Amino acid sequence: MKRIQYLTLLIAISLGLITLAPAFAAAQTAAVTTSASVTLTAAEKTAISRGDTEITRRIAALNDLNTRIQAMQKVTDAFKAGISASITNEVNTLTTLKAKIDADTDLATLKTDIQSITGSYRVFALVLPQGRIAAAADREVELVSMMSTLGAKLQARITTAQQGGATTTALTAALTDMAAKLQDAQTQAEAAVTASASLLPDGGDKTKMASNDAALKQARADLKTAQTDLAAARKDVTTIVSGLNKLNASANASSTTQVSH
Amino acid sequence: MAKWIIGIIIVVLLGAALWYSGALSSLGLGMSASQTPTSTAQMATTTQQAAAPQPENGMAATNDASDAAITQDTAAVDAQMQGLTSDSANVDSSLNDKQTAQSY
Repeated sequence: MKRIQYLTLLIAISLGLITLAPAFAAAQTAAVTTSASVTLTAAEKTAISRGDTEITRRIAALNDLNTRIQAMQKVTDAFKAGISASITNEVNTLTTLKAKIDADTDLATLKTDIQSITGSYRVFALVLPQGRIAAAADREVELVSMMSTLGAKLQARITTAQQGGATTTALTAALTDMAAKLQDAQTQAEAAVTASASLLPDGGDKTKMASNDAALKQARADLKTAQTDLAAARKDVTTIVSGLNKLNASANASSTTQVSH
Repeated sequence: MAKWIIGIIIVVLLGAALWYSGALSSLGLGMSASQTPTSTAQMATTTQQAAAPQPENGMAATNDASDAAITQDTAAVDAQMQGLTSDSANVDSSLNDKQTAQSY
């Protein structure tokens, strides 16, 4: 009889365990989830904060670049529109990504989204220097144009001085040097754009990444050479203006002397 | 009957030849493309008028070579040179950009 009672008790306990098992398991799962959720929430917050910071920084840099692109003067509207479209596309991608990251509720999705920030960086890392190089090259070409106009005026003044009997050898030499420097600056600026404008994101391809990097560095070197040329041309302007002023002063002194005689 | 058909064909061919050569344009019957060069020329003229050389970025008038104009031009060039220094720094910054670590 006791055996029967024990068996009944065992069966009852077993049934009870079986019945309770799902609930217990669920409770256990809930406990794990809750426990993980609490732990991961802190990690998520840190990740979201970092992701937001990185994305916000990039969006600000791209918007600033877009403003600069709109102010470019020596390129066609189509060229500007092309760069601007790339920038806008990247800004939209990052904005969407930021919103998704902010709304993520589980770590797995968040991890994937955070990793895509790194992936999108390859686009950002190309679009930003491409745009900056184009803007700097545009400014250099603009400066070439402005100094060419100024050079024509200086040429006219030198010619007038020559016709007045002044010796203008040094001024003419400076003007010739200025023209050569401006010509080279124009060539270098155009080369910088040619080297960088057609590059495409590497998409994680290391060979492509290396060739893009080399092309951007070459473009940077071209821009620096152009900038050096322009600085030299600017010095030539100072030399010529200073020389013309001296010629004017000596001419005035000469005429004053003649009058006083 | 055949003579009539040949005659009509000849007339049609002659008309087409005249139309193609633009001989009918004086009568207002020429092909519309013959008007295109005129329109294009007008547009080019308009564009040229609109794009007449204008002083750029604070420069003095192109035909003014006075001392004051040269001083003004030099100042305008210097302003752009400063802008170039800024552009150049931005190029360096963009090439040296490093992304914030995203692992956690």
